[in-house]
Amino acid sequence: MSFLDDPKGAFADLTRPERWVLGVSVAFMLFLLGALLTGALGPTYFLFLVGLAGMYALLSFGLNAQWGFTGLINFSVAAFFGIGAYGSALMTAESSPIAGGFNPLVGLVVALVVALVLALLIGIPTLRLRADYLAIASLGLAEVVRLVVLNERWLTNGSAGVRGIPSFFQGWPVLSTFPETMPGLRLVVIPGSPIILGTSFWQSLLNVLLVLTFAGVTFFVLRRAHQSPWGRVLRTIRSDEDLARALGKNTYSFKMQSFILGSLIMALAGVFYTHLNLYVGPGDLDPITTFYAWVAVILGGSGSNRGALFGGIVIVTIREGTRFLNDVALPIDPAPMRLLLIGVVIVAVMRYRPQGILPPQRELIWPSAVDDRGTPETPDSGVREQKGGGGDE
Amino acid sequence: MTVLGYLANGLVFSSIIVLGSIGLSLVYSIADFANFAHGDTMTIGAYTALVTFGAVGGLGGAVLGLPYGFFLALVVGIAVAAIVAVGTEKLIYEPLDVDSIGLLITSIGIAFIYRAVIQIRFGSDFTRFGIQSLRPIETLLPYGVRVTLHDVAIVASAVVLVAGLHVLLQYTDLGRKMRAMADNPDLARVSGIRTKRVKLWTWVIGAGLAGAGGVFLGLFNQLSPRMGFNLLLVIFAAVILGGIGSVYGAMAGGFLIGMITQLTPFFSNVVEALPIGPGWLATLLENLITIEYANAIAFVIMVVVLLIRPNGIAGEGAT
Repeated sequence: MSFLDDPKGAFADLTRPERWVLGVSVAFMLFLLGALLTGALGPTYFLFLVGLAGMYALLSFGLNAQWGFTGLINFSVAAFFGIGAYGSALMTAESSPIAGGFNPLVGLVVALVVALVLALLIGIPTLRLRADYLAIASLGLAEVVRLVVLNERWLTNGSAGVRGIPSFFQGWPVLSTFPETMPGLRLVVIPGSPIILGTSFWQSLLNVLLVLTFAGVTFFVLRRAHQSPWGRVLRTIRSDEDLARALGKNTYSFKMQSFILGSLIMALAGVFYTHLNLYVGPGDLDPITTFYAWVAVILGGSGSNRGALFGGIVIVTIREGTRFLNDVALPIDPAPMRLLLIGVVIVAVMRYRPQGILPPQRELIWPSAVDDRGTPETPDSGVREQKGGGGDE
Repeated sequence: MTVLGYLANGLVFSSIIVLGSIGLSLVYSIADFANFAHGDTMTIGAYTALVTFGAVGGLGGAVLGLPYGFFLALVVGIAVAAIVAVGTEKLIYEPLDVDSIGLLITSIGIAFIYRAVIQIRFGSDFTRFGIQSLRPIETLLPYGVRVTLHDVAIVASAVVLVAGLHVLLQYTDLGRKMRAMADNPDLARVSGIRTKRVKLWTWVIGAGLAGAGGVFLGLFNQLSPRMGFNLLLVIFAAVILGGIGSVYGAMAGGFLIGMITQLTPFFSNVVEALPIGPGWLATLLENLITIEYANAIAFVIMVVVLLIRPNGIAGEGAT
């Protein structure tokens, strides 16, 4: 907020990793802009990548609400993501083996309700378990969900997956025909290689706006929740559950609430994915999705929503960058390359920066307590202490 | 197939699960974290054996339908799995300054690195050892038991390895130290046990057994870079059923889980034959107890055990 009034001061206020991330992000954006202008990167594909990044950011927000806030090791991210995707796909697609053909908004609601039920089904037995048991149990239950989706053909169409999914805006007043009615644009930035913006471009633009809305709303809800008294209880549970219990908090209930909140956000990411990809298959429930979200969260900094956003972008860079590398430079199969990079990132983060790159700092403190007219220089307010030694929760 | 046939299959599969679960349980109790890279350690053993066997060939004679060269490959597979695990412990886990949850997350990264390296080198397709598959043993066929000599070899080798581990744990100095450390690491340390060295030996034994399990899994089914990771949760189910930290519990748990997953078709026959009360319940059970859900049943058993008996069937006292 103070960035516009006083950019220099705001920059000086950042911690070193913050400056570093800012620098890298700006450089990365300039690189993408260059690629866009020279036509190396198609604008439609670029918007698809932005949508994907938004989706991973949503997924990471969801996991952050569980692991970052409360310390729940949930290894069933892929199950909630897949349930969200399948819920909306089965409701809206023409080829759906059940129902089908409903308005995407109905799909959204159904997906969230199913995710809520699944969260209760998984949460009720497992949230009482010790941390490492929770990890194993949730991974096992996610596998059970995947097997059910794969084998119950009457419900999910089995390994063939669901096709014929409409865009999210089908049936809306203006937006449903927006991509068709928009004129095709032809931009010439570099003579000889025009950039053509057609129907698919406008469609992708709508998708990006959708995911920005989802992610934006989620971000502000989570930030508000994290700073609220409710969020403080969650943070207490994370650092010392016995303490929270000694203070008279029903930790099981709080853990359940945070688990459900996170699961709903993951399902939301799944709903968006359905309408972005227009195809859903059992492969989307592969455990690798879970670990993508985990890498995003631990890389960004557990408990930090900015970090989760940053992590989501890094994941898309790894996912699509390996494909790009395979096309251009190294003829190595992108799948194991991706796996290798993810593995190396996990090990490197745990080795050199276990708290993540952007650990939560001032975002945990109520803003009015910090931004006391922009002069956080009173040492006895505890501000400096928080700023220096943040992530040691 | 008859009940005996299912039991025989279950015995073969159980041997593999037991080999995997012992190592996982040892590392869980002595290094004190859930090692998600254990399944991929099995894959390393299997692929090392594949390469070695391809290089040395049959070496003349054969035992139980398996050429001598295969046994050499088995030993090399065990050794390489152990070396890789010790190297990982020295390079990655030991210098880490994180709690057991941090180690757990790190081990997932390690699992991905192992699998990625194998997949880059060998591709993601299924392969087999270059050993001719055998026909089931003729004399057992009338009883409905379809096992090959290879299956007998798997069970026999597993029994030898497990017996060797039993002797090691009960009658050698190292075994006593390991049991002491699993019980109470601090107490073990103050009584003069070099806990770091014992931990390294734990990795050697655990990963070695996993490597052997991987080789046998490759012989029993086929090899693919995902083979170990796919089996990992089943092994976790076995370890938890047996009680984490108890090697003998892991053996029992591995045996039971292996049996249960292989007996699923038999159970589904039983369910169909039984007159179960309301019709919908019968239909539901018939749909859920099928071979497709064999692993899912194991995972559900795992969660149920965690809930009602977190110390496992062999566990004693609370931890």
